[in-house]
Amino acid sequence: MHSTKVSKGESEGLVANRVLLTLLVAALIGAALLPFAAMAPNRLVSGQSVGLVSALLAWQWGTLGLLAVLLGLCALSRPFSLPAAYRLVLVAAPLWLLLVLYGLGSYADRALEDASSAARISQGAAFWIVAFCPVLMIVDAFQRLHTNLALRSLYAALLAGSVAAMFALDVFDGLAILREYANNRELFAAEFATHLRLVASALGPALAIGLPLGLLAHRRSGARGPLFGLLNFFQTIPSIALFALLVAPLAALSEALPFLRALGVKGIGATPAIIALIMYALLPIVRNTYAGFAGVAATTLEAARGMGMTSRQILWRVEIPLALPVILSGLRIVTVQAIGLTVVAALIGAGGLGSFIFQGLGQYAIDLVLLGAVPTIALAVVADFLLQILVAISKPAGAR
Amino acid sequence: MIELQGLTKTYAGKDVVEEVSLRVESGEFGVLIGPSGCGKSTTLRMINRLIPITRGRILLGDEDVTELPPEQLRRRIGYAIQSTGLFPHWTVAENIAVVPGLLKWPKQRIDARIDELLNLFHLDAGEFRHKYPHQLSGGQAQRVGVARALAADPEALLMDEPFGAVDPLTRDVLQNEMLRVHRQTGKTIVFVTHDMDEALKLASRIAILNAGRLVQYDRPIELLTQPADEFVRNFIGKADLGLKLLSRRWVYQYQQSAEILEQPSSFHHDRSSVTHGWEIDDQGRPLCLHGGRLYAEESEQRTRVTHEWSATPDMTMKEALSRMVWFRVMVLPVLDEQERLIGEVAMQGVMGREP
Repeated sequence: MHSTKVSKGESEGLVANRVLLTLLVAALIGAALLPFAAMAPNRLVSGQSVGLVSALLAWQWGTLGLLAVLLGLCALSRPFSLPAAYRLVLVAAPLWLLLVLYGLGSYADRALEDASSAARISQGAAFWIVAFCPVLMIVDAFQRLHTNLALRSLYAALLAGSVAAMFALDVFDGLAILREYANNRELFAAEFATHLRLVASALGPALAIGLPLGLLAHRRSGARGPLFGLLNFFQTIPSIALFALLVAPLAALSEALPFLRALGVKGIGATPAIIALIMYALLPIVRNTYAGFAGVAATTLEAARGMGMTSRQILWRVEIPLALPVILSGLRIVTVQAIGLTVVAALIGAGGLGSFIFQGLGQYAIDLVLLGAVPTIALAVVADFLLQILVAISKPAGAR
Repeated sequence: MIELQGLTKTYAGKDVVEEVSLRVESGEFGVLIGPSGCGKSTTLRMINRLIPITRGRILLGDEDVTELPPEQLRRRIGYAIQSTGLFPHWTVAENIAVVPGLLKWPKQRIDARIDELLNLFHLDAGEFRHKYPHQLSGGQAQRVGVARALAADPEALLMDEPFGAVDPLTRDVLQNEMLRVHRQTGKTIVFVTHDMDEALKLASRIAILNAGRLVQYDRPIELLTQPADEFVRNFIGKADLGLKLLSRRWVYQYQQSAEILEQPSSFHHDRSSVTHGWEIDDQGRPLCLHGGRLYAEESEQRTRVTHEWSATPDMTMKEALSRMVWFRVMVLPVLDEQERLIGEVAMQGVMGREP
């Protein structure tokens, strides 16, 4: 009994941060076993894999190794104290990330020096792992430190700025995904704008419809059941099916009503995409609006009425400010969801970043797929982060 | 002054409040009390029309306010509730400023009023103005709730079980503060509670309701000595009627002169009677009681005076009696604010006089 207690105590005492240790081990195993990059003679054949150590220069993987040792020490209870270890992670992890990015770019430049112009360098599984693990380490360290949002935002902006600077300095120009970008530069800008436009033109109406419906659900308990039933039903329809289902009726409508046709309403393209996106966006918006209003304490409302506030004053000065954080959390869910769903809308000719993905899938050109996928993910992450800031700001000072 | 005339509330054909008529005079502390579901809260909430009136009239001062728009009426009547209902997203100052803001007071006047009210409740304005409700203790939040209700200097104050959710110690402190604030402001108050001891402590008049009807409306002492019917008698509780009576009696009413011993050492206890005397210091503060205990040995006949074992003129006789029983002494010293001996209150006094 006694000995087991001691050994348990020791093992708990030795590893201070299991998450960090797990991420580090995952990164190291990934780097050791999986290909870091691949080189192919042209776009259509699959390439030859290269490991991390052979792809990177000695000083690069050597420094990565040192950083790994440092991060490993941060995961242990000695020699660093906990807050010091978290802060060290916030320095070492981004250095690791930037070095991995730089290493990939510099490998591509070196590998392409004596290769044909059709040769392509793609990133491999190990790259994604060793790039993603430090990001998770950073997120974990911030959560443990309970850093305020302003500092987190500044940090994120600095990190994003460093990555953007590497793009601007042409560090990644050798990579296939950027080759694809160079070939499709104008198209990319257009599709990116289309993507944003589709998301915005779905979110606007979804808010305009969803907010009043949420308030209605709160005020009229009778409307709640049927309303949520209908919106839940929308949510269960698979996105591809919903896009496809809308094509035929819209085509018929536009055929029958010339003024709709004049407005640009067609069976394929933006119209069905926007309608489907609105249908998916409604449930989270209505649900969160309802939850936000329902969360305002009954006694707060009674006090407001008892002091002689009018219903309008109560709505604008008490209910909305108190419900706003929950409503905005709904908007956050919906925005991230719409950015992802808009990819599928490319299938019915609505355009957007999804068109690269489906084009790439058709041609079996993985780099073209990534040209659509990576910016979509980045867009979702940035939107999520910005809306998270908005949610935090909207929290009443008394509840922050 | 608030007067209810034949106030009636009907829900689905059933009268939950039936023909309640009563008058709370200016500066009076009126308490509505009764068992759960007796209609006391409904009656209170009809006064500021949070619940619409089915039938009857309400007079505020000499004005019939039955037809006044509810929002206008509510801005003239303070309202404090059990869970305070403070707005969590506003500071203490912003919470207090609500009604003056609705009445469009100039900012300077509102600011001055906030400080004045915080001072009234002994809350440091510099410290509390900018606090949020979640940073307050239960007692502080309740004080702010009452301060907010008083903000626009309303003609009357309605309180719906305001101290129902705080711990007994805090409740006692808040009740004493409420009495003090009532004395200082002279507000007309209508207060709902289900706690008879609270009602007896605070009220200048108590209205007992049962099943939507007003059973008796009287001064506390009359309620205790002349209950209108069996229901009132049962509701007050027969068990500790004597103690309840004493809770409406104060030490100054029973105070007697105290015998001061010039030579305490020569005091001799006589077991056949409960003689006693006080030893005081040169400031007039009592040090020690000699004698005054029944069935005690000679060695136990010197009792050192402590803060817990003494009385003040405004203490209830119930509390004084409780202290006598606890310390097993037949007499308590009565102290003034400088803790000087100004008299004594004795068990014989309690027994000898009609309460």
